[in-house]
This record gives sequence, C-alpha cells and structure tokens, in this order.
Amino acid sequence: MRLRVKFTKENYLKYISHLDLMRLFQRAFRRGNIPIKYSEGFNPQPKFSIANPLALGIESEEEYMDIDLEERISPKAFIEIMNKELPEGIRVLDARYVKDNRSITSLISWAYYQIYFEAKNINSGEELNKLVNNWLEMDKIIIKRIRKKGRRVIEKEEDIKPLIGNIVIKEDKQGEENNNLKSVNIVMNCLLKAGDKGNLKPIDLLEAMEKYIQPGIDFDSMGIKRIGLFTERGGSIELPM
Amino acid sequence: MIDMEKFDRVLKRVEKPARYIGMEKNSIIKDLNRVKVKFAFAFPDIYEVGMSHLGLHILYNLINNEEDIACERVFAPWTDMEEEMKKENIPLFTLENKEPIKNFDFIGFTLQYEMSYTNIINMLHLGDVPILSKDRREGDPFVIAGGPCAYNPEPIADIVDFFVIGEGEEVILEILDRYKDFKNTNKSRRDFLKEICKIEGIYVPAFYKVYYREDNTIDRMEPIVEGAPSTIKKRIIKNLDQVYYPEKLILPYIETIHDRIPLEIFRGCTRGCRFCQAGMIYRPVREKSIDRLLELAERLVESTGYENISLTSLSSCDYSELKLLISQLMDRYEEKRVGISLPSLRLDSFSLEVLKEIQKVRKTGLTFAPEAGSQRLRDVINKGVNEEDLINAVTYAFEEGWSTIKLYFMIGLPTETEEDLLGIKDLGYKVKDIFFSMPKEKRKGNLKVTLSASCFVPKPFTPFQWVGQNSIDEFNEKINLLKDNIRDRKIIFNYHDPKLSYLEAVIARGDRRLSKVLIRAWEKGCKFDGWSEKFDYNKWMEAFEELGIDGDFYALRERNFDEILPWDFIDAGVRKEYLIKEYEKAKEGKLTRDCRLGCTNCGINKSFTGGVC
Repeated sequence: MRLRVKFTKENYLKYISHLDLMRLFQRAFRRGNIPIKYSEGFNPQPKFSIANPLALGIESEEEYMDIDLEERISPKAFIEIMNKELPEGIRVLDARYVKDNRSITSLISWAYYQIYFEAKNINSGEELNKLVNNWLEMDKIIIKRIRKKGRRVIEKEEDIKPLIGNIVIKEDKQGEENNNLKSVNIVMNCLLKAGDKGNLKPIDLLEAMEKYIQPGIDFDSMGIKRIGLFTERGGSIELPM
Repeated sequence: MIDMEKFDRVLKRVEKPARYIGMEKNSIIKDLNRVKVKFAFAFPDIYEVGMSHLGLHILYNLINNEEDIACERVFAPWTDMEEEMKKENIPLFTLENKEPIKNFDFIGFTLQYEMSYTNIINMLHLGDVPILSKDRREGDPFVIAGGPCAYNPEPIADIVDFFVIGEGEEVILEILDRYKDFKNTNKSRRDFLKEICKIEGIYVPAFYKVYYREDNTIDRMEPIVEGAPSTIKKRIIKNLDQVYYPEKLILPYIETIHDRIPLEIFRGCTRGCRFCQAGMIYRPVREKSIDRLLELAERLVESTGYENISLTSLSSCDYSELKLLISQLMDRYEEKRVGISLPSLRLDSFSLEVLKEIQKVRKTGLTFAPEAGSQRLRDVINKGVNEEDLINAVTYAFEEGWSTIKLYFMIGLPTETEEDLLGIKDLGYKVKDIFFSMPKEKRKGNLKVTLSASCFVPKPFTPFQWVGQNSIDEFNEKINLLKDNIRDRKIIFNYHDPKLSYLEAVIARGDRRLSKVLIRAWEKGCKFDGWSEKFDYNKWMEAFEELGIDGDFYALRERNFDEILPWDFIDAGVRKEYLIKEYEKAKEGKLTRDCRLGCTNCGINKSFTGGVC
C-alpha cells in the first residue's frame, strides 16, 4: 500500500538537510506508530522516499513523499497523527493512497519557485521583466557547470534554456537607500525543470541572470521557496496528487 | 533575546546552520520573564558533540522539571559562526530563547576533557562575561563547572566561581534552592558563595590559598575564608533506581555523535584498570534494576522514536543481568525495529554471546580494547584480558560474518618495552592469520584490521597519578617503530598526536598556576584544541614560555608519594594508600581482582555507602 503525502518545510526547518529530514520522518513514524514497511536484512530501513530533495536553505510549501505501509490506516488519521508528531515548520497537508507503482521522484519533472532578492542595478520590476524577456529570446543560454569526478574537477558548458519554463516578476518594492545606493526588492516566480531528465537549481538560474543581464542581485538578501512540484503529461503540467 | 534579523542573516552564511536554531522535539522553552532562576547549561564544544553527552540530557530535564527554573543550552559556535557573530555583534546566546548568556543566573560548564578549556574561556568572552572569577560583579552570572575533569579543578580555578564535585543530580537542586532564597535578599555574590561552600561537593577556589615550595611543588593549601572545608567530598547518588532520569530526550535535527537513546544501566566499574580515571572516580558500582530500565526504555522510545537504544556504562557487559535485560528489550522492540547496542565490549565469551543476540536486529561496530600489546603489560595495567580471549573473540566474530575489527591500544604505559610495543603489531597479524586460516568459502567480506594507538596520559585519582609521561620524542620513536613494523595492506595503524597528549597531561595534573597559561593560549587564538585541524601546539608553547611556566614539570615528572598533589584536597572515596598499593603492584605486574569477586579495600565503602561494596 502506497500512501502519497504532501507536506511543507518552512521557516527555520529550511536549514535541515534531506538526510536530516529522512531521519526526522523515520522517528516521527515510530512515535506515531505508523505501520510503515521496512526493508529486509541486518539494517532494516523504513520504506519511504521524498521527491526531489530540497537544497539546504530553501523552504517549501509543497513537498511530496511516498510511504509504503504494512497495513491500511485512514489518510485522515495519518495526517492528524503526523501533525502532532512533527515540528511546526513541517505540516502534512494531504495524504492519499495511490495505485501507481512509479516512484514519486520519477514522476516529478517541474518545480515552481518563488525567489526574493534585492537588486541594485535596476529601477523597477518592469525594467527587470523586460530584461528577462529579452534574455529568454536568446537561442541558447550557456552556463558553466562544475562537476567533480573523484579528484578531478570538470567544467562543462550547458544550455539551460530548455530547462526554464517561465519567469514572472510578481512584485517590486523600492528598497531602503543605503550609501546613496537604491535597490529594488523583487519577488520572482519561475518554473524550472526538475528531476532525472534535466534539472535546474534556482541558484544557478540567478547566477546565469546576473551573468547575462546584470540586475545587480544581492545574493546575501536572497530567499528561495519552492511553491509547487509538477508532473508532465502530454505537454501540460499536472499536480502529482 | 538577540537581534533575530541579524541571526537570520548570519545563518545564511554558516556551515550547518541547524546547530544554532534549537526548537528540536522535546526541547523546553519557558518564558524567561516568569521564572525565578535562569540556568545556562554550557557545553564547551560544538552542538553535535554536546548533544551526545548524557549528563546534558539528565540535568536539562531535571532542572526544567522545576517550574520556576529555566535551563537552556549553549554550545561553542564553530569558528565560522564565531566570525559571523562577531561581525554582527551578536553575543553568545542559548538555543531555546536565543537569550544572551550574560543574562543568566548561572552558566554551568561540563568538563568532559581537558582540551576543551580554551573553549570555556572563548564562550565566556563571546558572551560578554568576564573571564576571571575575580572580575565578575553583582548581577553577573555565576560560572560553575562539574563533570569528570572537575576532580582536578585547579587549572581553571581562576575562571570558575565554584565547582560541583561528583554526581550532580541532587546537589544542583540544592544549589538552585539556596539561590532562590539568596535572590530575595540583599546579600552579595560572596555571601552566596560562603553559604554554598558548606554544601557537600561544592568547591569555591577563591576561598583557598595555595603555597608553593622552591622546587615548585605544593607546600600546602589552606582555606582563607571561615567555613570553607579543608576537604571536598565528592557527591554520589545512593540509589540509581530512585534518582531522576529523563523520560524525554531532545531530538536533534542534525546527526550527532551518539544519535540514539542512552540508557544508563549502571554507574561505576569494578574492574580496576589502573590507567582508568573513570573506573576510580565513579565508584561504587550502582545498577539500575531491570524493571526500571524497561520502564525508561519504553518512555524514551515513545517520546523520541529513536531506532537504537545504547546500554551505556563504563563496562556494560558487567551488568549483572545483562542477558535478561537484552532479551527483554529485544522481545519488546524487535518488531518496532529498535536496535540495541553496547558501546563497550569485553573480550570474553560472554560478551560475544551477548553480541550475537543483539546482532539479530542490527549490526553494530566491532571494537575491542586490549590496551596493551603483551600479557606482561596488560597485567601491569590490570586489564584482565589475555591473548586467548582475543583469539576466541576474533575467531567467533569472523565466523559470524564480521570482517572489520578495530583494536585499541595505549602506548607509553609504565614499564613499557620495545617487546610490549611490537606485541601490538603481533596481535594485528594474529588477527589477520585467523581470518585467512578459515576456509575461503567461510570468509565473509574484506578483512580490515585497524590498530589504534593513543598516547598514555596519567590522570589524577588513578594508581598512575604519580607517573611521568613519555616525552613527545619518546612517543614519536614508539610510533615510528610500529609504523616501520606494520606493513600489511590489511592492517591499518592509527595513532594520536603525541603533542596533544602532552598538553592533556599538563592540564590533567596541573595546578592553579595554569589558569593564566590557558588564558594566554586562548589570547593567541587557541580554541577547539581537541580538533586536530584547529590544534596549534606552537601557540601553546609560546604561552608557556612567555609566562615562564614549564609544561614538563606537570607532564613528564615522576612524583614522590609524599608530594602534595593539586587535587589531594578532594575526597573521591578511593584512598591514596590504595592507589599507592596498586601502583606498587603494577610495577611488579601483579593483578588485582575484580572487586565484584571480593572487596579490594579501595576505601569507597568506608566513606560512602551504597553499591556492591
């Protein structure tokens, strides 16, 4: 029996890693007596997987995991028990049984992010919007990716244009004046490819933006939140549950 | 509370920010404006180390059980965090309410190892608390300390306002009770200290003066304040079933060193290994009953969801009903996939049967500690283990499918010869031969034998407290001898840094003149000395030199039995005559029996009651 679960990871809990989160759930399942399945062998592990691990420091309003259960419990009871056991920053929003045998990780192909940052080279969100739209007209957007193979560091060029679904400037606000430098506070949403068949990290997107159109992003001010994960079917995107 | 905007900014720039966020399951956050006493439990190392310390969990919950007292945690920030905090002007704060430690009534440090002392100084400094006890004024926190290293409190006598010697569960509440009364009066800090120095186990260093002889040894130590006792008797808990034990444990978000339930099954140890300080200072042996342990295990599994219970003590296989305890725990928790682990395994058949039992659920690491390479030297240190035990244990382990074996040794033990040293190598090769003498189809995995050598550090309250440590050069020669002789890709030889062990020996048996060396070394940038990448021996040597203090005097010198030792004023229960007798027996290679088999007259049952004595 596979239960698909939607949950959040917000506030200070953005600072716990994917592995920390796995341990946290494992212990919450035990405290809550959730009848989870275990792997065989000397070191039995509970069978559950979280889709598309979040990088440290990124919050999320919509994360997904699949849990294999030994026996059926009602999704409502599951949500109640878990929300009692979990810290405030992690809330279970929904749980449903799925028949699908494919893993949640393999299903996800797009991630939607909301990114906050301060930019000092632009005067308004509108200006940034124009710059971005022109930028996305380019045939290719090449970034350098660094891969480590053992001790060797390999630099590889990659075209990230196919990995960008869209970029929308949601909000802008004039920032405070600091040493005669004015900055604009930007909230930007972007849909980026996620998963095994192409993946773009929001931080890589921002670095590419800075390199090509120089909005003057203050990376110290940046805050990233994942606000959705999607599957793709026949050219349109859908919610995983 | 610190400026949370600054805090948020800083978290973005540091490694493992979760070290500093607190808010873990089972942590306790009280309204600091509504409590009478604020106690900051300070661990002078990083979060992952401090959270693995059982004493923290006991005292944290014990103190917080008192409605009108808040106990909050503070750890040493890692160096990256320290830099960022300094840049933003964030003072050192507790994890619960993010409250600066200078606003607490007490800052209580636990002294687990000598090389954390510079971190104590650093934490006080980061917390804007005066480093020297004499510089603290009315309204400043009391800086207190306890734990195993408090048995020789002298090296940090200038820094700590008072020490708690021995087990803290009862005395800490006595102190806090007195403090509540004190707060309602107009009395001074000094009045408070005068009052509590009468409590058994409390040592106020400022109330004593030490006189030295020309040869730098101690002439005498005298109380200079009326009512300060001339001997400080350690505190012990008489009944371990009745003493407080937490039923909830703070559950860290990030992985700590010991990320499991610590279930303390007994205190003390009857083996009498002559190098072991814990074996002497934690006497007598006191066990918790099986019923109590099962009850605690249940509550702790329920409240934490941990996947492993560690049966902790100094020598867990000595618990009188270990098999029964383990089988009961396994019956209860096998289905829930909660494993049982034993942190210390002895090299005997009993331990191995126990190991086999535990393995049914989860495999744990396999490490043995023969401590010395030859039988002669093992007899000197009273480690009642022989080669046959090792061979049996290892044979059994290989048959059961283990292939990674780690053996711990000490080098520089009293009377050690080249032959003893090469015995370490011989044991490693024997282990390898046992593996390959098994038929090929029975061998499982890839053999890896690790021989790990630490440099012997003589400790107070052991029969070796008078021993001169090997010099760094001597240690290096010994290490090189082993390195040259151990040449096999299946056998790995590890060793500890002799420079670090030297400093540990200086501080372990140091007197109060060392406080200024510690401070000078810290001023030069020393901190996290227990971390090899941070340890800077040269800075320490500069500090000694500048202050005209000779480290060799403390580390390398063989003392006479009639010399007054800096910790002689503490009554740890074990008599000095016993330690002398044990040292004499060591030199003759004579064994002393396990005192479960009959009293060996150490003295603990004369001045203290309870336990097996």
